[in-house]
Amino acid sequence: MEGSVKFEIFGFGKRLKSMLKVDFRRMLKSRLFYILIACALLVPIVMTVMLTMMDGQESVNQQTGEVTIMEGPDSTWQSIGTLPSDEPAATDASAVGGMGAMGGMDVMSMCNINMAFMGVAVFVCLFISEDFRSGYAKNLFTVRARKGEYVISKTLVGFVCGALMLIAYFIGAMLGGAISSLSFELVGGLTVGNIVMCMIAKIFLMFVFVSIFTLISVAAKQKAWLSICGSLGGGMLLFMMVSMITPLNSTLINVALCLVGGLLFALGLGAISRVVLKKTSLV
Amino acid sequence: MNAVEIKNLSKNFGSKQAVCGLDMTVPMGSIYGFIGENGSGKSTTEKMICGLIPTSGGSIKLYGKDYTDESVRAKMGVLIESPGCFPGLTVFDNMMLQAANLSIPDAEKEVIKVLKTVRMEGAAGNKYKNCSLGMKQRVGIAMALLGNPTLLVLDEPLNGLDADGMRIMREVFCNVVKDGTRSIIVSSHLLGELQKVATHYGIIRHGKMIVEMTADDLDASCRTYVALQAEEMNRTKMLLGYKYSRVEEDEAGYLRVYDLTTPEEIVTYLYENSICVTEIKTDKIGLEEYYIDLMKEGK
Repeated sequence: MEGSVKFEIFGFGKRLKSMLKVDFRRMLKSRLFYILIACALLVPIVMTVMLTMMDGQESVNQQTGEVTIMEGPDSTWQSIGTLPSDEPAATDASAVGGMGAMGGMDVMSMCNINMAFMGVAVFVCLFISEDFRSGYAKNLFTVRARKGEYVISKTLVGFVCGALMLIAYFIGAMLGGAISSLSFELVGGLTVGNIVMCMIAKIFLMFVFVSIFTLISVAAKQKAWLSICGSLGGGMLLFMMVSMITPLNSTLINVALCLVGGLLFALGLGAISRVVLKKTSLV
Repeated sequence: MNAVEIKNLSKNFGSKQAVCGLDMTVPMGSIYGFIGENGSGKSTTEKMICGLIPTSGGSIKLYGKDYTDESVRAKMGVLIESPGCFPGLTVFDNMMLQAANLSIPDAEKEVIKVLKTVRMEGAAGNKYKNCSLGMKQRVGIAMALLGNPTLLVLDEPLNGLDADGMRIMREVFCNVVKDGTRSIIVSSHLLGELQKVATHYGIIRHGKMIVEMTADDLDASCRTYVALQAEEMNRTKMLLGYKYSRVEEDEAGYLRVYDLTTPEEIVTYLYENSICVTEIKTDKIGLEEYYIDLMKEGK
């Protein structure tokens, strides 16, 4: 009778496949995922339309009497990134954002497609904390001695969600531009290839952010508020870097840099996340 | 080969020692009743067996392999504290997630089969958050049963179940261990219910195993007593107290005489003292009383 107990050994590939199946199934059933994609699609439309509507409006500072003329975005591409510096519209910070100067930073350079990197933080944190809050982590980890596939799967799910948010934002920006009758003209030596490279670079860069958010989330476990605060705080430190690494006139070098950086971050932080899961209580 | 073999297991939470030097053996094909007071270390031990919390010392072997061995762990079913379902998903979706986690080939069919086993097939479309406590418990057991696990670890699985639910669970437990290779560790405070199914027992206190025994051992070590009802119960109790060292009145109003004696001897003794016995029987103390006695001795 004792000889009849046989245990099948599952390879890494099969284990990862089953973990991915669980996470993608969950992602597609998650309301939060659709809400974030919808937000990514609607925010650029609303922003572009509103900023364009405010174009030319004057506001007077009651104390100084200074008159500021609101200027809307000149180009649809401003929702994706700051136009190359040789482009006349981008040289004047107060003119680019359409809301006047904000301590040297214009609205469109902050509130653009890069906000998706912050949106994905919310998704990753809530997605992982839900595993621990619901107690599903017990079912998961009882049958999974190895934690590596959990981290890989979560990173990939976060990456896919982030990539979809970036694409949704891009579509939203194009729709917003079309609705507001903004220019789609590629100026300052900008090409379609640059924009494609910029988007690909941003998508690869998502790996860096998702790896950080995953690490913070597995450390915080069921404490979603802690992981969200940590991720947004950590994300803000790197947020400024996004526009520098992935400018609108990106080339293959930017893409390669983001790909290598993304993979290195994913591997390094993924290994740390795995150790955190291994050494700490999972309930 | 035993299903579970634990040697000198310990777990510290800071300076607090939750489990200290615990030895435990769960034979194959057994239903192991894991008993102990609140905070005695049952759940902590179960979580360590499932690899959910790291151990501080000692060894855990499952079917002769280390508990971290992925092949053994892949054949475990667990219900610890809560069923571990996503509240916003339906019962069926939650089950399908676990089926995907276990790489079950014909998942839908298997999920329906398991839901039928716990009589929850009618509630498969209900959102988990809308289920009652008993229904949630059944779902938790169904999840643990998915994929024909070789070792089931169930922490308080009978909580919140109605009489029918408890009967179903007894049937399920017995079916699981029928082939003699699969085993169940079940902790419960419902000792009466546990006694109906358990084949082995382990009693833990302050993180240490104080006794391990089979159901037969329990039966042999449970003291027999004579329970009786008679006219003039107070006088009867007083008279019996003169002759026998331990006479107690139970919740049902019977007088229990614990010393080795026969009903005939007691009837004759009382008759000689002009007391008529209306009902008399011999019985054994159950697991619950055995456990309470053991705890009292420990104190």
